[in-house]
Amino acid sequence: MSDASIKIVLNNVSKHFGKVRALDAVDIAFAPGTLTTLLGPSGCGKTTLLRLVSGLEPVSSGEIWFGDENVTNLSATRRDVGMVFQSYALFPHMTVEQNVGYGLRILRTKPDDISKRVQEVLEMVAMDGFQRRYPDELSGGQQQRVAVARAMVLRPKVLLFDEPLSNIDSKLRRSMRDDIRRLQQASGITSIYVTHDQAEALAVSDEIIIMRNGSIEQQGPPQALYHRPRTTFVANFIGESNVVDAELTGEGTHRQIVFGDARVDVTAGMPIADRKGPIKLSLRPEVLEIRPFENTSSSPMLHGVIVQRAYMGPVIEYTIKTRIGALFTRGPASASQFKESDEISIHIQPENIIIIPENSKA
Amino acid sequence: MKIQTQRQPGETSPWAVLSWLLIAITAYWLLPWTALEYGLGDFTAEEWVDALGWKQVRSTLVLPILLTLMIPLAWLRISAKISGGLWAVVPGLALGALLIGFTATETSMGLGATVIAICLAALFAVGMAELGFQRGDTFIAGAVIFVIFMVSVFIFFPVGEIFNNVLFDKAGIFSPFQFFRIITSFGVGRVIGNTLVLAFSVGLATTLFGLAFALYAVRATTRIRYLIKVFYILPIITPPFVVGMSLILIFGRAGMINDGLMYLLGPAGLLIPEGSPGLFERSGYIYGFLGIFLAQTLSLTPISYMVISGMLASVNPAMEEASLTMRASRWATMWHVTLPLIRPGIANAFLLGMISSAADFGNPLVLGGEYDVLSTEIYFSIAGAQLDFARAAALGIILLVLSLSIFYIQNKWIGKKSYVTVTGVETAGNVTPLPRGLQRGLTLFVVIWFFLVGLLYFSIFLGGFVKQWGADYTLTLSHHLELWSKGLESGAWPSFLNSMSYALLAAPLTTLVGVLIAYILTRKTFYGRGIIDFGTVLIFAIPGTVIGVAYILAFNTAPIELTGTAAILIITMAIRAMPVGIRGGMSALSQISTSLEEASLLQRAGSLRTIRSVLLPLLKSTIVSSMAYSFIRSMTTVSAVIFLATAGTDVATTYILSRVESGDTGVAVAYGSVLIFTMLVFTLLVQFTMGRARTDKQVKTI
Ligand SMILES: Nc1ncnc2c1ncn2[C@@H]1O[C@H](COP(=O)(O)OP(=O)(O)OP(=O)(O)O)[C@@H](O)[C@H]1O
Ligand SMILES: [Mg+2]
Repeated sequence: MSDASIKIVLNNVSKHFGKVRALDAVDIAFAPGTLTTLLGPSGCGKTTLLRLVSGLEPVSSGEIWFGDENVTNLSATRRDVGMVFQSYALFPHMTVEQNVGYGLRILRTKPDDISKRVQEVLEMVAMDGFQRRYPDELSGGQQQRVAVARAMVLRPKVLLFDEPLSNIDSKLRRSMRDDIRRLQQASGITSIYVTHDQAEALAVSDEIIIMRNGSIEQQGPPQALYHRPRTTFVANFIGESNVVDAELTGEGTHRQIVFGDARVDVTAGMPIADRKGPIKLSLRPEVLEIRPFENTSSSPMLHGVIVQRAYMGPVIEYTIKTRIGALFTRGPASASQFKESDEISIHIQPENIIIIPENSKA
Repeated sequence: MKIQTQRQPGETSPWAVLSWLLIAITAYWLLPWTALEYGLGDFTAEEWVDALGWKQVRSTLVLPILLTLMIPLAWLRISAKISGGLWAVVPGLALGALLIGFTATETSMGLGATVIAICLAALFAVGMAELGFQRGDTFIAGAVIFVIFMVSVFIFFPVGEIFNNVLFDKAGIFSPFQFFRIITSFGVGRVIGNTLVLAFSVGLATTLFGLAFALYAVRATTRIRYLIKVFYILPIITPPFVVGMSLILIFGRAGMINDGLMYLLGPAGLLIPEGSPGLFERSGYIYGFLGIFLAQTLSLTPISYMVISGMLASVNPAMEEASLTMRASRWATMWHVTLPLIRPGIANAFLLGMISSAADFGNPLVLGGEYDVLSTEIYFSIAGAQLDFARAAALGIILLVLSLSIFYIQNKWIGKKSYVTVTGVETAGNVTPLPRGLQRGLTLFVVIWFFLVGLLYFSIFLGGFVKQWGADYTLTLSHHLELWSKGLESGAWPSFLNSMSYALLAAPLTTLVGVLIAYILTRKTFYGRGIIDFGTVLIFAIPGTVIGVAYILAFNTAPIELTGTAAILIITMAIRAMPVGIRGGMSALSQISTSLEEASLLQRAGSLRTIRSVLLPLLKSTIVSSMAYSFIRSMTTVSAVIFLATAGTDVATTYILSRVESGDTGVAVAYGSVLIFTMLVFTLLVQFTMGRARTDKQVKTI
């Protein structure tokens, strides 16, 4: 993080398009120098939030602060924001050099300084030497790098990315996302990144914000979201998850979580306080361990029948029918001793059970 | 913490504000406040000085004093609310007072007052931007206010005047029954009926023929289909009444057909036994419904063809191939798959044909005879000694309502019913061929059609070189000499040069406003946009004759007196050509992703700079072609300008029509063919240079 890094704060920001509520009274703080990803289903308001921060769209109500400056009423031109568009939005009638140097020309920088600075940022994105090319003479990935260079050339206070990698094939995407992460960390510019791809989100972000229907579902570092989702929606959205119904039974120190054939003692630190009755659990596929059928009821154990089996190269995916519904898991392909319609048992370590704290009636 | 709760006072630099103030103040002291007696073309120094503001009305001195006092305020930036309020209210009120003053005293605005009004509107825009209109963007606010101002003065106000003329009698008393009296008066019902019958028949015929040509051009496998390319050029370069004129040459009383029939079947004809009276007499069958119908069908079919062929070309051949693989014959495929897919295009072509037929003025004027339609009836209500403005206005309202309703149906009903999605993906070149019988029939039809069209244009060309069509076919140059060799002061030159210079001025004007309107329509939503939306609909739908009447009524008297000036003709041409600019601008802008402009804004470029550096370069070819076609349209337009052209401001088309009226067919046709030829050369030149420019650097928009 550099000294110039600033904090971005949204206070009670709403945005309506006519009757559509694209954003509903959101409060968010983006820590200085971090990269925060907005993740959520289509139409949940990610792009809208980004455009409000950029100033391209005015807020309906609420305030936006960059550091200690209220920028709510500043136009995009004066907000000091860089943005990488999904379509790259490179000017088709300008060369790479002219595209990247555009903002410098607007600011009446001396021509020599322009080409120096342009070369500098092009080097950062490994595109030096392409100055004379037109955008339609570049590959998608190269265009994308130029777009990143253009967004960074004025050393903005804030960098915004709207699904920057969605038009790039999956192999290239991985290296591009690492590049973006590296550049962002080196520059220390507070950044907001929109994506559909949760793997991308987990890989690049300091923080992830899960959005749903125009409001914030949960914000936190990737691990926190993965291991402690607060709602079923988050559990399903980040990583793969089997969300199952469970029951809290017993009193005092004998409280237990019961799901199917399995019983788990409630320990301190589980986020259930003194609730009773039905709750929801998230069982990640990787914590479900399949074993040949055992008729014991010792450790938390579920019984079931394999209904589907799909060979995926290194792993095999299983769908298992149990009393609490169908569960999804994987096993190594080398030990492929299970076939469809085999009866099996599933072992789970109690500490791997994720209790979803949201009120399950909601 | 630094707290800014207010919008920062606008981006408008004080220097911009200062320059508007200074222009207004200078205009007050130097330019005539009221209109000069004989216009800007002819005045004495004395008249000029007399027309200055303080000489005319002492109280107008308030204006320059007020504006001078406001100069220091340009630098005063207390808060956006206060300075915005100041600049919106003071110039706004001053502008209102100025307009009301001129209207109330029935004085005509002079150049000075016009310039001052524009400056006041600009300052008002500054104030509105400060108050947050268009998100504080002064340039956009100014552009929007400018467009609203233009549309109000040159569309709403004149159209309003039409209604004003019908609903109020000469003494200014509200008399709604006048309208009903006029439309129920003798003959009006027949005129309306005639117009509708004609429009309907022409709509049907052009659609049918347009469909035939479209099928042939897109699907036929013969070479002849390349002939149809001519369709893209002919209707553009041909003045609307020329087809009518050529029909007279061929089918008219003294036309070839009559001549031929006379020769064979007339008294003493070749096939008639000596002494018997003959089976044929010269007949004027072409004057009337048949002639207008033929002329309009011939000149409007290309438009219908373009609409239908555009849609036909975008039908995905896979759908037809799917039908063929399911054992459907080519005929069945055509009937059950292709035609239903292009049904919206067919309906659209029909409605366009109807509108254009109802709005056409030139052909009914030349060929009408006893068959009177609304557009000519409007003209004849005013022309000559009639001067029945109320009647012209009432008929104008009917024509306007008719064409607005068709336009409305076209937009609401067909706009949403397109099954053909234009993906931009080139479908493979293999198109489903036509059924064999159909192709043969169509070939015959196309050949006959082009034979006829060729004959028409040839007769126009030849007509200028023969002594007296129908009577004396000796070749002569006399018509052309009469037109072109009598010096620049007489013959055809004055009107030709007028046409050229007006059209040259109208083209950039209409393109500027048209593209600006397109920009606002595709890019901006704001409170009050409906005004521009409705103005645009009127610009598209209003028939030329209605514009003509409206302008006569609106601009013949104070406060805006423009009749008899070149300005009114330039403005009329600009309005008539504006759909070209708007349509071109809209289709180009909708292909340019808004993220390009946003990327530019985020690079600290203001909106003016963004338009200049990003949009204009990408719109270059649109702007050039819009200018070129506006120019051609202005050169060939007749319906509106015929009301407004005077002895000094005669244009080519009105001159030709006046020669037709006085029976100098040879001269008229000679002039017409020169006009067509000039436009043809110009069009080919433009297309050639544009084609070259396009291969220079393919600009792709993402
Ligand atoms: N200009 C607009 N006018 C009207 N509604 C809009 C506009 N922009 C967005 N919306 C609506 O606001 C909601 C949020 O849209 P937004 O584009 O922010 O979604 P998103 O999360 O970016 O979706 P995606 O992942 O598909 O890009 C949607 O319901 C959308 O239809
Ligand atoms: Mg989006």
